[in-house]
Amino acid sequence: MKADERSFRIALVADRYVNPQPGGPDAVAVAAQAGWGVMQLPPDDYPPEVAGPLLAEVAEQVEEFSRHGYAFVLVGGHPGLAEALARVGVAVPDQITPATGVELKEFLDRRPASAAGWDASQIPG
Amino acid sequence: MGVAFVAHCLLNQNSKVGDGAHCAGVYSPVIDTLRDKGWRIEQMPCPELAFTGLNRFWAVKEQLDTAAYRRHCERLAEAVAAAIGVRVGQGEDVVLVGVQGSPSMGVTVTSSDPLRGGRPEWPDGTAEHTSGEGIFIEEIRKALARRGINFPRVTGETHALAGHDEATQRAEIESVLAGGSGGRPPGPARTTREG
Repeated sequence: MKADERSFRIALVADRYVNPQPGGPDAVAVAAQAGWGVMQLPPDDYPPEVAGPLLAEVAEQVEEFSRHGYAFVLVGGHPGLAEALARVGVAVPDQITPATGVELKEFLDRRPASAAGWDASQIPG
Repeated sequence: MGVAFVAHCLLNQNSKVGDGAHCAGVYSPVIDTLRDKGWRIEQMPCPELAFTGLNRFWAVKEQLDTAAYRRHCERLAEAVAAAIGVRVGQGEDVVLVGVQGSPSMGVTVTSSDPLRGGRPEWPDGTAEHTSGEGIFIEEIRKALARRGINFPRVTGETHALAGHDEATQRAEIESVLAGGSGGRPPGPARTTREG
């Protein structure tokens, strides 16, 4: 079997950086280059009754990743995110609101290594 | 152009079942295709991650198809259907981009073996891919129907299928984005399961 290629690093990313305006910072492209996964936060135009449940699911998944030591950062933000994370006992990760993709790339590259990884008993195959 | 609701793992391969991550994070072959064509990306939650966890075994549909997992998927599907409803109400074209061969996220190909269970060993080459939808996709279909929203066109990442080819995958996605029905019949037997 081939090795699992996950990075154990995940960026929570505001919608405006996932679907950027022309010339705006493109967090998906930067994350792909830097080897981070992306968890998208609900778009800003969703009403609270739509965004709220989506945010709760994001928080629940962050909780599961966090239990296993995966590293997180927050790119941008979303109203109610801190409360949703608090409900699952997870602190808001270190945050950046980048003006450029270069700034975001430098931020991601400076992050310490994730505490998670495949130990010998977890390596598939 | 419109809005592509994509499987969680297409932006975050860290959510994959063990040995399933094809890259560090963003699965660019699909995401780049969507963005190149001018589609917005909206990420769906991963139904297996929160329910069965990061150390889950690979599984076929029958193993996941419990009442509790159905309720979990129904809850997630209601959240996704509400989001799709917003976009449909705005007049946007919507597509679902799943993971072919997945017991949860398969859009036209899922995995099936009614006899699988117990000690997690089985012979290589066991046939399991079959035409059909994964559990979460089925629940999204139901949730949209409850809202009176037509089920969107679908396409999927095809790594788990025999004969996977990135150029073919891109062509199939582009066909669906352009308005085609897409889809792909099950490939020959292969023991790969993707969550």
